[in-house]
Amino acid sequence: MPESELWVTKVFNDYLAGAGNWALGLVKMPPQARPWADFVVMQVLVVLVLMLVVALLRPRLSAGRPGKFQQTFELIYEFVHGQAEEQVGHAAHRYVAFFGVIFIYILSSNLIGLIPCFESPTMNPSVTAGCAVATFCYYHAVGIQANGWRYVLHFLGPMPALAPLMFPIEVVSHLARMLSLTVRLYANMFAGEQVTLVFLNLTKFAAPVIFMGLHVFVGVVQAYIFMLLAMVYVGGAVAHEH
Amino acid sequence: MTKKVLLLLALMLIASPMIFAQEAANPADTNAVAQAHAQWLAISAGFAMAIASSLCGLAQGKAIASAVEGMARNPGAAKAIQLAMLIGLAFIESLALYTLLIVFVKVK
Repeated sequence: MPESELWVTKVFNDYLAGAGNWALGLVKMPPQARPWADFVVMQVLVVLVLMLVVALLRPRLSAGRPGKFQQTFELIYEFVHGQAEEQVGHAAHRYVAFFGVIFIYILSSNLIGLIPCFESPTMNPSVTAGCAVATFCYYHAVGIQANGWRYVLHFLGPMPALAPLMFPIEVVSHLARMLSLTVRLYANMFAGEQVTLVFLNLTKFAAPVIFMGLHVFVGVVQAYIFMLLAMVYVGGAVAHEH
Repeated sequence: MTKKVLLLLALMLIASPMIFAQEAANPADTNAVAQAHAQWLAISAGFAMAIASSLCGLAQGKAIASAVEGMARNPGAAKAIQLAMLIGLAFIESLALYTLLIVFVKVK
């Protein structure tokens, strides 16, 4: 079945194929005729939009007289910081940056799919796997940073006698966290789009708007859940063993 | 009486490979075998999704029922209960979606 492209992807492939093939060459993959995939182009677009928003925000920041733009972002920051304090404890301010990035990035990626002619990059398992692997590496790195080499004690269970049994179980459980993060976000976004398409097939016009409304809610909830799970994992990793 | 029923079921379970075993594949009719295989796949995909969705519905119903009862008993905690309910619903939903993912991956 011939691949159909978004118009943004078509623009990228027509004019920036050289840049795409250079990026493929960096990871030793052979050059292709149309190197930019839909989800790659959509991710680049999301990142550019977020950078634009932040670039517009920065000069308008003021401590004495905050405007509406600043207050909106203060709301988002308070939300993320409050949740982080609840889950991670007293040292949460160090990790708020990562949680905020995860939340805003996944939220924007989920919601950009609702605009006609754009597609959610999180509909592709590679994108959600990337977010999950990044979270996995982050909470282990943060755990080692907070606990030193005593971090390995987290994997050994409550009693030293149980350690040979607990270690494989804990390793598998941590790997399963990556899998569940990936599949939860991917399946929610993919199922949302498929349901919309099926109902569009059945009713041909306007009825899938209800499903798109539900998809907005699901996108927000899934971004929040991803951030919350990242916080829970970081909270578990930096917990000081008594 | 229950012991005899259990014994009968155990015997049927043990005898089932002998009764229902597939004959060795004949290369001449691989097309028919592939078609039958696809039909079984479609039927089992439908059943798998139905079981997953119905159990997910039951679990979400239980979660919402306890959340609503909690909110009725303690209206001051309504916000916290609502938040916990939404998180719980999202986790239960994702279990049914894992089954949908398998269906989409396995059924061509």
